[in-house]
Amino acid sequence: MKVTRLIAAVALCVAASAPLAAHHSAAMFDDDKVVELNGTIKEVQWTNPHIWIQVVVDNNGQKTEWSIEGGSPNTLSRNGWKATTFKSGDPVLVRVNPMKDGTSAGQFIGAKFKETGKTLGRWE
Amino acid sequence: MRTALLAAAACAIAIGVAAGQAGKSTSAAMALPDWSGVWQMVGPTVFDRATVQPQNGRAGDAGVREFPPYTDEYEAIYRKNIAKIKDGTFPDPISVCGVPHGFPRIMNVPDVYEFAVTPSATYVLAENGPGVLRVYTDGRTHPPAEELWGTYTGASVGHWDGDTLVFETRGLKESRDNDVIVDRTGLVLSDAAKVTTRMRKVNDMMMEAVIVVEDAKALKAPWKVTKQYRKMPAGTWAWDYGCAENNRNPISNSGKTLTLGPDGKPIDKKTD
Repeated sequence: MKVTRLIAAVALCVAASAPLAAHHSAAMFDDDKVVELNGTIKEVQWTNPHIWIQVVVDNNGQKTEWSIEGGSPNTLSRNGWKATTFKSGDPVLVRVNPMKDGTSAGQFIGAKFKETGKTLGRWE
Repeated sequence: MRTALLAAAACAIAIGVAAGQAGKSTSAAMALPDWSGVWQMVGPTVFDRATVQPQNGRAGDAGVREFPPYTDEYEAIYRKNIAKIKDGTFPDPISVCGVPHGFPRIMNVPDVYEFAVTPSATYVLAENGPGVLRVYTDGRTHPPAEELWGTYTGASVGHWDGDTLVFETRGLKESRDNDVIVDRTGLVLSDAAKVTTRMRKVNDMMMEAVIVVEDAKALKAPWKVTKQYRKMPAGTWAWDYGCAENNRNPISNSGKTLTLGPDGKPIDKKTD
């Protein structure tokens, strides 16, 4: 199981890191949980009002696609992100606040590029 | 000869008057403060940070509220909204792309701002939008009450008090079924709201807007809120914000904010 649940003793850190949902209610996300995904970037939708990162997690041959919501490209670009920061095929670890209903989607917290060790967002 | 001299004198007077007018206009323009640059609101999108509970509460989180001097009727409305937030059925009206934040919420949004000062009007340009507030300073007065109808940002008329822009906003749209809100904790106002704002540059790096809301239906007393805006580094870009470009969070019939997958279909386990 490459999806690791880190029950949030770090809830406060997460709360502080989650101003991303500027456009809509964030009631669907569970701020008290952090899920770490070990997967591969399928696609990045560098669009307003939020960017979306599609990550495929391969669990012993069973592939699950996660939809991960980020901030607006406007804000992210002012914080050093580019439309090409994530590229299709990049192997990554991504931490998210998952949907409360268990759906394979979540709110972006941070990411680590497995090939370079470079991190983005909150990654302690 | 005499005619030529008279003509020359008339020309000289005309040129002098024109030059004087141009000089007045230029000096008037130069007297306006420089609010150029790109600015960002300080703190989270809680409208009244002075009263929010819990103190670090975020707008939209369950149980977070502020304490405006609401009348009993509006306190009850606010409490209902707070309960809806807890149930996950308090959609932000701006989730429907194209709906403006309205005033005073436009002074309380994320992303960045620009403040365009001209002799006849000042424009508050919120990147997160659509978000434009027009404050006319050309000497006009508000339209008579019978000619005003409720709009998201209302009608703002202002004047300069030294380096402070003072403006009054009337004609605001009443919140009906929460179709316009003050912030995501569920604050709303009525169509009786009249808002006086004093806006100035405190120093090179900080703008301030002191907002006093009066609302004979919703408030028992004037409600004073101060918002601050920090200047971003020189060269910072503000971009357009095409909310409809890829809105993967539509609202269900029951008011739940849905999440769409990349195929455009809801991925929520329950949609209503």
